[in-house]
Amino acid sequence: MKLAVVVQRYGADINGGAELHARYIAERMATHADVEVVTTCARDYVTWKNERAAGVDTINGIQVRRFPVARERDPKDFGRKSHQVFNETHSMADELAWLDSEGPTSPALVDYVASPAAGFDVVLLFSLRYYHAWHVTRRIGSRAVLVPTAERDPAVALSIFGPILRGAGGIMYNSFEERAMLQAASGNQAVPGVVVGVGSDVPARTDPDRFRRRYKISRPFAIYIGRIDANKGCAELFRFFERYSATFPRGLDLVLVGNAMMPVPKHHRIHHLGFLSDEDKFDALAASDVLIMPSFFESLSMVALEAWALGKPVLANGRCDVLKGQCIRSNAGLYYDSYEEFAETLYALESKGPLHARLGRNGREYFNRHYAWPVIEKKYLDMFARLANQPHRPLAPLPGWMARRRRDLPAAAQVLAAIPAGAVLPEAAVARDRTA
Amino acid sequence: MSDFTVKSDNVDVEQIMRQVRSRIREKRGVDYTEDEIRELASVKLERFLDAKGVRSDLLEQYRKRREASTAPRNFAFEDTTLYESSRSFLRVLRKLLNPILKLFFNPTPVVEALHIQSRLNDSYNQAEALYYELIHNLVLETTRLGIEVKNLKMRVESMSSRLDFDERRARALEGVVQYRPGAVAPLPPPSSVERGRDRDVDRDRDRDRQPANLGATDAERRNRRRRRRGRRRPGGPGERAAGGDSPSADGATDTGGPQAAPSRAEGPGPSRAEGPSAAPPAGDGGSGSAES
Repeated sequence: MKLAVVVQRYGADINGGAELHARYIAERMATHADVEVVTTCARDYVTWKNERAAGVDTINGIQVRRFPVARERDPKDFGRKSHQVFNETHSMADELAWLDSEGPTSPALVDYVASPAAGFDVVLLFSLRYYHAWHVTRRIGSRAVLVPTAERDPAVALSIFGPILRGAGGIMYNSFEERAMLQAASGNQAVPGVVVGVGSDVPARTDPDRFRRRYKISRPFAIYIGRIDANKGCAELFRFFERYSATFPRGLDLVLVGNAMMPVPKHHRIHHLGFLSDEDKFDALAASDVLIMPSFFESLSMVALEAWALGKPVLANGRCDVLKGQCIRSNAGLYYDSYEEFAETLYALESKGPLHARLGRNGREYFNRHYAWPVIEKKYLDMFARLANQPHRPLAPLPGWMARRRRDLPAAAQVLAAIPAGAVLPEAAVARDRTA
Repeated sequence: MSDFTVKSDNVDVEQIMRQVRSRIREKRGVDYTEDEIRELASVKLERFLDAKGVRSDLLEQYRKRREASTAPRNFAFEDTTLYESSRSFLRVLRKLLNPILKLFFNPTPVVEALHIQSRLNDSYNQAEALYYELIHNLVLETTRLGIEVKNLKMRVESMSSRLDFDERRARALEGVVQYRPGAVAPLPPPSSVERGRDRDVDRDRDRDRQPANLGATDAERRNRRRRRRGRRRPGGPGERAAGGDSPSADGATDTGGPQAAPSRAEGPGPSRAEGPSAAPPAGDGGSGSAES
């Protein structure tokens, strides 16, 4: 079987969620199929500037084919078009213009993947909202398997994505919440879809003491791993933690791992370590009491899964449906909606507290049951086998020139607001609620 | 901050979160979210604050006033403004006649002054919005503090009533401890001579029951002190203070009035040394004190 993994950026040094997800899947699937990664020459997800050479490369034993991006993103133009389609009544042509403006615009990539000469049996497309996913799916129809990595943002409510989600051969969702949201937005219940997520290469042994010695951290601490950005909820995290540290002088410190896109407050109990190697990251996680995930929007938090794999509980932002749902389903994490809840739950999750060990154990079990690599690989292989047995279905053609320009589509934010939100509770909880 | 009640190995995160929220509600009195606090600040401030000096709907009023106001917020004034016109020929004519105008007076200082005024208006407009935002935030914070003060008052009241209750219960328990139905026969009140004899008997018995760890000198000293008091009591002020011959003087029915104090001051008397039989029932004082 020849499998294409198509993703907007690719590289060993690219640690964006969807990109890392794609790399892990490509490397794992290489043992079962002939895998080729098809991507762009871009490294920066804001500008899509061509920074790498076009052509064929090999990364960790996987063949990677890069295509140049035809034009960089113009942030002003993209902002204007985003405002138009998200907040105003608009046309399908406006949405297509928004997609072009968002990028990474690479017609050569689309042509290559869709051409019969490439000979791909299955095309795995990462990130629904980008140019390549939409155009490739339109061209190849049910040979496409989408990994939407969709968050609850207005883009998923754009009308252009409905036919894509209904026309793809299969969909690999990251979470139950993502599936519920996309099914509500597109009505694609008939399309084979499975909640998979992604595994992680968690080391068998970690050395928390080495981390403590190296970074001179002796006190117990909570850890945040990821981009330090207001969009990731870090501003609220800092605000809450400063109040918490004033109230609990003997409480946990906060260790931040990742590049800072916003100023980190100067506080004697906040330690910003910058970007760390995988070894240091896992040692840090093993040394921590709890992982904090302050993000409002996530389709899947790989670092949360890694924390669970290492037996660490997670404290998540309760306004993120996905993280909250995972905490409830795994019984391995708590969540907060306000400062008071943040302080109470953080206190409860300290390693000397009564919950730490139990939630940690649940997390490890949850990871092994749902996110161990053999489980993930089997789900992908089952989906590919299912696709092989079903006939090819092309997508319905786009509406005509006039219809595409009719300004009768509601604002995407308005559509999104009508889509039900909230964590998907475990079946038992739902049944219990019904009985109650 | 207290710990969570986790009764088994199977933890339920939703249940824990319910516990967390109920504890927060207990602490705060009422479970206000940020949005609710904002709502309270804008609508029902007078419930929590003396609203004489603070308007709860400051920002709203300010916005309304700005929107309703027909007066222009500012004007643009450049060096060409004086000569502008919608009719182009008039504009050209004014430009041509400008040198002649300047023969009569110098318009430059006027233009400059009005230009500066325009910029001042701009900065005033910006600052005004900030001031109102600031005042609005202060109102929010004041509301928050008001709520907190109210809750703290409620907690202080609750704690003082619990303290009163605990004190009453402590006195009652002390009364129960002194009551020894097996040790003292419910006889009619004896005469003072008989009472003195009884005390001597009790004293001898007490001496036999002194705890092993109590030194002989301590025990002797206490007995001596008790003997002295015993001698003084009949007919003396001590007896009257202790309630005379009434049963409550023995503590049998004393439930914690001021009379209990002297008997308590006597230190580890016989009733305390009697051990478990004198202890209050486990389900009463024991668990209660553990809870508090």
